[in-house]
Formats: sequence, C-alpha cells, structure tokens
Amino acid sequence: MSILKATGSRPSLSRPRPKVEPVKVFSFITLVVTTFLMLLPLFFMVSTSLKSKREMLKFPPTFLPESWQWSNYKDIFDTLQFGTMYMNSLIIAGLSVFGTLLSSALVAYGFARYRGKGNQFWFILLLSTMMLPYPAIMIPQFVLFSKMNWIDTFLPLIVPAFFGSAYNIFLLRQFFTTLPDELFDAGRIDGCGELRMWRTIALPLSGPALATVAIFAFIYSWNDLLTPVLYLSSSEKFTLPVGMASLTSSRFRIPPWHLLMVASVLAMVPIVTLFAVAQKQFVEGIVLTGIK
Amino acid sequence: MNKNRKTLATVLAATTLIVTTLSGCSGGKSAGNVAGEANGGAANSGTNSEQVTITHYTIDSEDRTFIEKLIPEFEKEHPNIKVKVEKAPYEQFDSKLQTLIAGGKSPDVTSHYGYGGFAEYYNKDMLFDMTDLIKEDGFKAADYNIPDDLMKIYTVKDHTYGIPVNMYVTLMLYNKDMFDAAQLSYPPSDYEDKSWTFAAMVDKAKKMTVVSDNIAKTQYGVDFTWAERDMRPLYFGAEPYSEDTWTNGGVPSETHFDSPKVIAAYQKLFDLIFKDKVSPNSEWSKSVAGQNGDPFVAGKIGMSIGGSWNLAGANDFPFKIGVAAVPWGGNDKVRSTLYVDPLLILKDSKHPKEAFEWIKYLLTTDVQEKSIELSGGNPPVNTEAAEVYYKHFEGIDPADVKKVYEGAIKYGYESYNHLITNYSQINDMFINEIQPVETGHKTLEEVMPVIQKKVTEIIKR
Repeated sequence: MSILKATGSRPSLSRPRPKVEPVKVFSFITLVVTTFLMLLPLFFMVSTSLKSKREMLKFPPTFLPESWQWSNYKDIFDTLQFGTMYMNSLIIAGLSVFGTLLSSALVAYGFARYRGKGNQFWFILLLSTMMLPYPAIMIPQFVLFSKMNWIDTFLPLIVPAFFGSAYNIFLLRQFFTTLPDELFDAGRIDGCGELRMWRTIALPLSGPALATVAIFAFIYSWNDLLTPVLYLSSSEKFTLPVGMASLTSSRFRIPPWHLLMVASVLAMVPIVTLFAVAQKQFVEGIVLTGIK
Repeated sequence: MNKNRKTLATVLAATTLIVTTLSGCSGGKSAGNVAGEANGGAANSGTNSEQVTITHYTIDSEDRTFIEKLIPEFEKEHPNIKVKVEKAPYEQFDSKLQTLIAGGKSPDVTSHYGYGGFAEYYNKDMLFDMTDLIKEDGFKAADYNIPDDLMKIYTVKDHTYGIPVNMYVTLMLYNKDMFDAAQLSYPPSDYEDKSWTFAAMVDKAKKMTVVSDNIAKTQYGVDFTWAERDMRPLYFGAEPYSEDTWTNGGVPSETHFDSPKVIAAYQKLFDLIFKDKVSPNSEWSKSVAGQNGDPFVAGKIGMSIGGSWNLAGANDFPFKIGVAAVPWGGNDKVRSTLYVDPLLILKDSKHPKEAFEWIKYLLTTDVQEKSIELSGGNPPVNTEAAEVYYKHFEGIDPADVKKVYEGAIKYGYESYNHLITNYSQINDMFINEIQPVETGHKTLEEVMPVIQKKVTEIIKR
C-alpha cells in the first residue's frame, strides 16, 4: 500500500524543467518532417535495390522488400562490367579534380594578386566562356580531339580539366582576394617567390574554397554522361553513368530498376565519402587561417 | 626560387606522365584510327587481300549489342573483314551519331534506333544508295525470305537505302487473370473475325473497369497506345498527311490535322478516357507505373494495344497474358502499325561493300534464328526464322502469335516515324501540344489548329 502510494504521488523533480518555446517545437517538428520527406526517395532507392524483379513491378509498391535480395549487389557486377566502370570513373574523376585544382588555383591566384593591363578584360572574357553551352562546342572539340587521335581514350575527359574552368577560377579568385596583403608582404620579405607564396601561403589558407572546388569538380566529372558517350567506344573504357544509362536503354524491355538502384547506391558512396572528408577540411581551413 | 621551379617541373612531369600513360592505353583499335587507316587505303578497299574494319553503331542494350556475339563466326567466314561495334545509350544515340559524322568518324552500318527516323536520315543526305551494290551482288530479298512489301519501305524513287532486319507490329496483349475474374471470353487472335470491332472492345473494357477511391483497387479495361500520337487517326480511316508523303522521301505537301475527320478520330480515342471512362488518363498511368512505365505491366489494365516489343518482357509479368488481334476501327486496310527496322549504310562509309557483306550475314535464316534467342525475342523479318520467334514466349500459344503477326502484316502500315521528315521534332511538338487534352484541360477543337500550324512549320525546315 505504501509502495503504491509512494509511486502514485511521485515527488516532482527539484530542478525546474526548461521552458518550452512553441516556436522551437514547431521548427523542430518541421525539420523532422522535412528530413523524413528528403530521406524518403533515398530510402526507396535502398529498398528497391533489395527487391526482386517481380516485386519491383508491384503496385502499390511495397515499403520494405518482401524477400531481401542481397544477391542484387552481386548481380550488378555480372550484368554490367561494373567494377571496371567504377574504376574508370574513379580514375577520370580523381585526375579531373587534381587538374581542376591545379589549373584553376594558379589562374585564380594570378587574377587575384596581380594588377596588369587589360586585367578586367581578360577576366570578363574568361567569365563569358560560361555562357557557352556544351552542345555549341561539342562538334569542334570532337574534331580537335579526333585529329589528335584521342578518341576512345580517357584524355578528352581529363585533359580539359588541366586548363581551368571559368566558374572555379571565379570562385577561387574571390577567395584569394580576401587574403590579407600583409601575409604576402611577409612572405616576400622572407624571400619567397610567387610560386612559393601560392603554394605555401595562398593554398594552405584556402582549404574551404579548394574543398568546394574539389567537390564541384568531382561531382561534375562523376555525373558526366555526354562526354564519355561521345569519346569512348570500347565497353571496357565506359564510365559508370554510361553503364547506368545503358541499363534503361532498351525501348522494348522493362528496365531492371532494382539493379539500377543498386548501381545508384554504390555510385553515391564516393560522393558521400568525399563530402564527409571535405567537410572536415572546411572546418580545418577556418581554424588554420591564422588571422585573428 | 630554384625550389619553386623544381616543384613546377615535378607537377608538369607528373601531368605529362599521366597523360601519356593514358593515351598509351588506347592501343590502336579506336574508331578514329580505323577511319584514319581507311583514308590511306580507300583506293584498295574491297580487294580481298587487304584487311578492312567496319563499324556497326547501335544502342547499348542487350537486345541490340547481342550482335557482338555473331562477329567471331562472321570474321571466320570473311577473314578480310573485321567488325567493331560502337554503342551509345538510347537517349544519346542521335547526338553521338551526328557528332561522329560531323567529326569525320562516320560508322559504316547502323539503323534508326534513336528518335530520328529513316526519312530524317534520308533528307539529311546521310545514307548510302545501295541500289548498285544490290545489283552488282545479285542480292534478292526472296533468298533471305524477306517479303517484297517490306523491301519497298526503304526504297525511295526506285533507289534502295535500307534493308529490313527486324519487324515489330502493333498487337493487343490482354491480362488473362483479369478476363477470368470478370468471366469474359478472351478476344480473338484472328484478324478475319468480323465480330472483333472497336465497339466490342469498349464493351469488354467496360466490364473490367473498376474506378475506386482506393488507387490500389482501381483498374481499367483498355489502354489504347496504337502508334505514335500523330498516326492514330489512321486507325479510324482519317489521314492527317497527304498521299505524296509516302512517295517523295517523307515531305508532305499538305497536312490535315485540323480537318473535322481527323478531329473526330481523336475524339473517339479521348472518349475512351473521358466519356466511356474505360481507359486511364495520363496522370493515373504515370502514378501507377512510374517513369516510362506501363500500367499494363503493373496488372492494372485488361487490354493493352501497343508494339510487339511488349511481348519481349512477357515472361516477367506477374500474371498470365494472351495476344489478340487489334480490333477493327473503321479502316478496312489498316489495323496494325509496323515498325520495320532496316540496316543502313552511311554515306561516309569507307567500306560499303564490306558493310553490305555484314548486313547480308545478319539476314541469313540461320543468323536470324540465332538472333531471336540472343536478343531475348527480337522479331525477325525473315519469314522462315519467324517460325522460331512465334514459339519464343512462355505460356502464349505460338498459333496466336503467328495469326496476330500474319494479320498485322496484311493490315499493317509502316510507322510514320520512319517515313516523315524531321520526325523527332514533330513528335516532341505533338506530345507537348496534345497534353492539355490528355489531362482534360483543353478541347481538341482548341488544340488541333495549333498543331496543324506547327507541323507545317516543322516540315518546311
């Protein structure tokens, strides 16, 4: 009896409960709902990747697979030359990122740190190249590369990255201009050449900007479909997007969506990893800036 | 300063190394190299001693790239010819082909597998005239069991520009489970069965249609996707393009999309959705079947009129299916659309003679029979090989498939998308303009004059 009584009248906690603000509760609920909505397609992607072909056709669709087909993750390697395509995409994207960072950072440094005749003109000219849509340069570029005998090699997909891209140069230039002159003056006093200042002062301080450019360049190359389609003709050189587009290429069959979802899940891995790594770089970049 | 130079030099060296290594990977087999060699040896091409490489450009999907498996046998028989298959996903097929041709790397053999059709290729002057080659070679369609009517499709003004290889038709697939549940008799596969009319089909469809608030329970009797949208009036006997279109390489002198007869024909089809309510509207179809899907496959449609390629997936359907004739709609001559895919030699081909050898090989009865299995059910033009095709589908009576095919050939008309110029633009425009009618937001009387005006503009381009 006494126990019941005791539990019945539990003494209130002595610490006062924090005040609940309705606005905060509302925004929290909104965030949870939006997050759920955003994650739903992702959830369906993973769920479909584990369904059988027959279950994939069902309507209404099942939320979770009725029978979990883990073998789909093996099948994709048999259906496509998935491993080779994955490696090809990684090589091309990796080198493109390297090329983009190298060239864009160099050019951006020049635009940011030097004042010369026609500086503005060249910069505007550079930016105006952003107005050109890819189909406009597609054929001339193809003719150029085919004259160089680069067809069916990775070169047309990588080499252009070593010549900078307007958007990335613009982005990095804006960042470099925010770096204080004092740092470079100090470098000059210590006897640094320009290249060394670029490498030892500008680059280490630009972690966030470089990380952003790296992510952009990687995603661009990783997702690019048209350029590999145009330049590659041997199956063993195809990239992931080409292989995935081919899965839905048949006008006459039901596309194997379940396998396509497997490919999509696996294709997401490098981007998520890169994002995780680059995000850390973001933070470090800010911590290490060294200017207070 | 020295150190800086060293760094720069290292970076440059590394870059050069990577670049050269990668270019080294390419070996000597690219299409580019082949065309390059061909330039030098064009004068000698055709002689037996010189080895020649031809390129076959196709879609990168299993039902097209199976030809790769046929190459070793062909190369054994023709030691002087090497065949290389170049491929692209469906959506990029046209742009890659255009770029290859513009860039001087034209493939030798291809078909109109993308959005563009034969007439578009013909009018862009992309095709090689095979007439002399055929004469010189003594090629006869009959030797390959190709019906003469089919050969005529790709002959313009007595010049042959393509040889048929596959033939799809329009047919009706029906869901046997749904028919059984509604206790209905199956539709006939015989085109001569006079009772099988459009009205009879609507009748059956009404008995199977269940419209419910619960989307999972809703099902419709029929989905009528007969041919591309601009061709559908033909089913009811109305002709939107003038007669001369079919004789002069696909350039119509007149079109009649705003004529009362054409509008009335469309009205009959839209009545299926809005008046009789036996067909799904496009929004419902999309929500049930997803992107470029088919609600029939999801088991929500009793009868589906569409291309015979739907048969190729039949073995995967989660219900029992049958094939039937397209019902009679009022046109005594035309009830089925034919989609005859030709093999074409491109004008810039450096080795048309060798390309023609390869085409002939693909048409032989033996290879056509093998192709059915390898492609997973592509219908051959070769009538002898077709016997094997009829037996290819699990659970479907081969006699039905045969009857439907024979009827379709008798009452068939080649699909407009192969016969009319600038067709991909016409088709895009048509889909966009007619969409408000499909969703019930506009009437045909409002839309058809606009379509008529735009078609005229596109044809003149």
